[in-house]
Amino acid sequence: MTDAVVHGHESSTGISNVKLGMWAFLGSECLLFGGLISTYMLYRGRVTGGPRPAQIFDIPFTSVSSFVLLMSSLTMVLAVSAAHKNEDRKTNLWLTVTALLGATFVGGQVYEFTAFYNEGLGFSTSLFGSSFYTLTGFHGVHVTVGIIMLMALVGIFKRSEVPGKKAEVVEMIGLYWHFVDIIWIIIFTLVYLIPV
Amino acid sequence: MAIIERETEVMVPVTVTPTSTYGVLKRPVSATGWRAWVFTVDHKKLGLMYGATAMFFFIVGGVEALLIRLQLAAPNGKVLNADLYNQMFTMHATTMVFLFVMPMAAGLANYFIPLQIGARDVAFPRINALGFWLLLFGGIFINLSWFLGGAADGGWFMYAPNSGPVFSPTNGIDFWAFGLQIAGIASLTGAINLIVTVLNMRAPGMTLMKMPIFTWMMTVVQFLLLFAVPVITVALFLLSFQRNFGARFFDVAAGADPLLWQHLFWIFGHPEVYILVLPAFGIVSEVLPVFSRKPLFGYPFVVFSGAAIGFVGWGVWAHHMFASGLGPVSVAVFSLTTMAIAVPTGVKIINWTLTMWGGKLYFSTAMKFSIGLIVLFTVGGLSGVTHSVAPSDTQQTDTYYIVAHFHYVLFGGAVLGFFSGFYYWWPKMFGKMLNEKLGGWNFWLMVIGMNLTFGPMHILGLQGQPRRMYQWTEARAGEGFFNLAFWNLIASIGSFVLAVGILLFLINVVITARNPTKSPLDPWNSRSLEWMTSNPPKEHNFDVIPTVHHLDEFFHRKYEEDSATHTMRQIATAEEIMAEQERNADKHIHMPSPSYWPIVLAGAVPIITFGMIFSHLIAVIGGVILLFAAFGWALEPSTAPESDFENNSSQGTALDKVGH
Amino acid sequence: MNHSQRHSNLKTRVASVLLVTSKKYQKIFGVAMATMFAAGCAQNAPQDTWQPKGPNAKIIDDLQQPVFAVAGIIGLIVAVAIIYVVFKYKDRGQAIPEQTHGKPALEITLTIIPALILAVVAVFTFGAIFKLAKTDDTEMIINVTGQQWWWEYDYPAQNEFGINQPIISSGQLVMPVGTKVLLRETSRDVIHSYWIPALNGKRDAVPGRVQTLRLEADAPGLFAGQCTEFCGLSHANMRMEAIALSKADFAKWVANQQAAYVAPAKDSLAQQGEAVFLNQCVRCHQVNGLLRADGTPAIAAPDENVWSGAAPNLTHLMSRNTFAGATFDLLSKQCRDEVWNAPSDEIGAKYLAGVTEDCLNQKDLRAWLRNAPAMKPMYANPTQLTATGGKYRGMPYLALSEDDISKLVAYLLTLK
Repeated sequence: MTDAVVHGHESSTGISNVKLGMWAFLGSECLLFGGLISTYMLYRGRVTGGPRPAQIFDIPFTSVSSFVLLMSSLTMVLAVSAAHKNEDRKTNLWLTVTALLGATFVGGQVYEFTAFYNEGLGFSTSLFGSSFYTLTGFHGVHVTVGIIMLMALVGIFKRSEVPGKKAEVVEMIGLYWHFVDIIWIIIFTLVYLIPV
Repeated sequence: MAIIERETEVMVPVTVTPTSTYGVLKRPVSATGWRAWVFTVDHKKLGLMYGATAMFFFIVGGVEALLIRLQLAAPNGKVLNADLYNQMFTMHATTMVFLFVMPMAAGLANYFIPLQIGARDVAFPRINALGFWLLLFGGIFINLSWFLGGAADGGWFMYAPNSGPVFSPTNGIDFWAFGLQIAGIASLTGAINLIVTVLNMRAPGMTLMKMPIFTWMMTVVQFLLLFAVPVITVALFLLSFQRNFGARFFDVAAGADPLLWQHLFWIFGHPEVYILVLPAFGIVSEVLPVFSRKPLFGYPFVVFSGAAIGFVGWGVWAHHMFASGLGPVSVAVFSLTTMAIAVPTGVKIINWTLTMWGGKLYFSTAMKFSIGLIVLFTVGGLSGVTHSVAPSDTQQTDTYYIVAHFHYVLFGGAVLGFFSGFYYWWPKMFGKMLNEKLGGWNFWLMVIGMNLTFGPMHILGLQGQPRRMYQWTEARAGEGFFNLAFWNLIASIGSFVLAVGILLFLINVVITARNPTKSPLDPWNSRSLEWMTSNPPKEHNFDVIPTVHHLDEFFHRKYEEDSATHTMRQIATAEEIMAEQERNADKHIHMPSPSYWPIVLAGAVPIITFGMIFSHLIAVIGGVILLFAAFGWALEPSTAPESDFENNSSQGTALDKVGH
Repeated sequence: MNHSQRHSNLKTRVASVLLVTSKKYQKIFGVAMATMFAAGCAQNAPQDTWQPKGPNAKIIDDLQQPVFAVAGIIGLIVAVAIIYVVFKYKDRGQAIPEQTHGKPALEITLTIIPALILAVVAVFTFGAIFKLAKTDDTEMIINVTGQQWWWEYDYPAQNEFGINQPIISSGQLVMPVGTKVLLRETSRDVIHSYWIPALNGKRDAVPGRVQTLRLEADAPGLFAGQCTEFCGLSHANMRMEAIALSKADFAKWVANQQAAYVAPAKDSLAQQGEAVFLNQCVRCHQVNGLLRADGTPAIAAPDENVWSGAAPNLTHLMSRNTFAGATFDLLSKQCRDEVWNAPSDEIGAKYLAGVTEDCLNQKDLRAWLRNAPAMKPMYANPTQLTATGGKYRGMPYLALSEDDISKLVAYLLTLK
């Protein structure tokens, strides 16, 4: 499907529909995370039982998994650049690497959640627990959805049934991926680095 | 019908059958029968389906309202018990706000935005269909609670901690929260879709400042939705997590602050007010110029005041919380911003009045409803100003005075606007005109009924009758003939007058459907692009995508100004313009193809939420369906490629395609 | 009519309409509107927001009257303008009019005028907001706690009013006239809102927070109120009454509230009632000074039985005129009217007389003891208590015999 509107050549703004739609969606997501982050910031110090944040956070571990996620933004950039050059194999490679890095991050989060739970921080333990798991969990779900999209993209490319121009779609997914990364930088700073 | 081939003047739809299978299922192809509706991605069909759904819920919400007024007609009412009454007012508001006004606006936007900007469909037709089905299923989901242990009973504002599992032990609030979440996804996808459509798919030459005013107001609404919906999404998640998974967000014993919910709810809730009323402003701003035979007075002012309302609307939420204990500084600030928002609203009233000034007014039913809106909305706007005065509001808030205020705004504003739109656009949507005589009765009964119902509520509230009470007593009703008992009775009588007025509309719809008389091509001598096509429009909307040179493009194709006398001279009829278009019709138009996936995907969501409430196994089943549908969706191109069709007779290149 | 003529015509019209806002007209208008409104209103509605009986409500009223007048005038101007336009410009077969697109100067003027009006309103609003938020001139403090579906009034020790030990009461807020009373509000469960319209606007009682509301009454009197934040099932049955007493009468009331417990006479019906009370009611309801048969003080444990953790303290029940969250009267209709309709200087004496046997509203009190949830919806059905771990959210059905009820009524009558 070589659709003029998808390309953006004939759209009124010059930006393709899919990309503009993603921008709009990400604008909306800002408010979603804004609400979740506000809730966490309001409640992070409210511990009537169970551990306090400083007692359980393992900053070095989370720093490493944050670094892994940041690196995935770099590989995503490489994937987009390869797609623009129509280098299919390279595109697929970088998309796969990005997905793997994302999966590593999610794996780290699962490990972290398990560790926290064993140290006595359940979802119902305290306001800190409820809001911590909700905020980071929402982010984790976003990363997971991103991984699914990346893998689906690789799968679709293999069947050569890309809806629209390939680079445009890769770029759209890339926008989402970078957004999720940026949100993590904010979460990491506010949740882990700034003491209560 | 996926591809429309045009050979000559005559439309020859080619029967097509897709051969490829994408993912799992073959593409649906029916162009007629129920399949043509259920699997459609056509913005007009979806618009009508939105409208029909909204109308259905309008009746449901209306019946709830009548039950409330029956209960309150006399002291110590016995029609409903306390529990049922609390459910009734909660669901009345929820239904009217989320399942009537919002979908009705979405329906009109869906139908008319592409037509008004000269596009053939919206940017993402399948997502559009998904949005509709989510809305419908979400609405049904919320109302299922009536039959499964009782509906939500915490008021539409659902203040914590009264919404917690201890205080509302039935599943009503679970259904409510999940149902609104589903409807919220619908609003969000709709907003993204329409924003991209308006920004990207305008006809050549249509700059933003040449866009019809209805499209403008609707665009502001979509931006409000885009940013407001995620906030209520967060609030609803917190509520659901607390009720269903043991989170502590509103548990005061754990140190929670109940005002968190209020802030989140009203940060969404106040923009929501403008989401509800701006569509009607857009409709009125279309109707008044047409029936005044003059352009909208101060179009840029109306546009910018609409945008200003959308902007300032974010900074006024705490005026719902003047009695919550915010502290004097916050109260003063929000008092001021609330007064500020009255200014752009006033600008609109002034512009509408000046649009009619010096015009040649024709009082069609649509025009009557629009004029009714100006007057009644002004009443609601002014009572709004009286409670922007925070100290005064601490007396008025949570009394019937507020009920009066927002019904003048929402009924006098949104609903009258919609009815104006119905009468104005009916010939466009159905090719037949609603009966104007019956329309007059419809209008007057609604206006009289609404004033009888909501007018007395000003007095009831100022004389101290609080809201949300399932019974009122004579002990607090005062003395004299015009005591509160009298006004309560009048309000109840008025609600039935109002109901008769609305019933007349439904009768009018039936009569019109049975009447074989077709409407003229341009019955009102209209001004904007949606009238520059057949009634109802063809599937591809326009034979030729028009090139736009003016605001009110269609009018300027019909009339020319004599530069010497400043009078208007007709240069073409609508029929001539239409014939001209047909002669130059695009040869090869690709429309997006129907799809099973939107309804399947949408159907999976309520199954998941149902499972969240009752059994996680059901949720897993829903999740599997969801993934399956997403998979099918991702692999299916939105517009079937030509290689997909058996009798592929493609010639040339696609001139226009939509979507992805 | 040519362009410029039309323009100037429009200008004069608008100007003439705006003239109405000039002061003289405004006054005439305000009076006319007020009369119209008054004629259509109830007389003596107990919760009328336009009948201030104290300085705080007066601040609000002084602010809202002119705002309503201005809003009314503007509304009328719009209505007149619309009617004028509708008749003047209706289709009389004239040609398609000139396609005027707007007049920016006119628009800007018409934008600035309402902005200026609102700016003036804002100045006065700010003044009122900060006046009403003052707490440093407080003369007396009463703690007010909301709970589904009644209010508890707790007077901390304040020697200048003769309150040497805290007084815990419910049903009616008793306060001295001419005294700046500060309510410190909170809630034990959901959000409630305290509202006595004659004395001030509303203030929500939010669990986990303490918020303040100023009250002051000019003269002795009774003032009705109602919980105005939706608080669940029986929200409609959560009422308030405030009683302002002269300072001398208030001192008498305080003295009575602090009076020691008087056990019922030996072998009286009331004494049997005391036994029933000890057997049933004392689980939740405290009566200060009441002793068990073994001589130990009877301490109520509402926290073990009621979800929100408290039940009304009944120590001087018959000094109040209402029960069950001010939903029902303890006084018979006739006696109640005598108190409510008494002239200001007699109200204190009538109120302090309390509830005598002749004046007792036997019917409602007996019905309440017989089956409270039937009179006021309160989640008393055991199947609705799973989420609360079996704790009640109001007074449950106690299955008392008619005999026990008579005994209890006799006993309650001794709690003067």
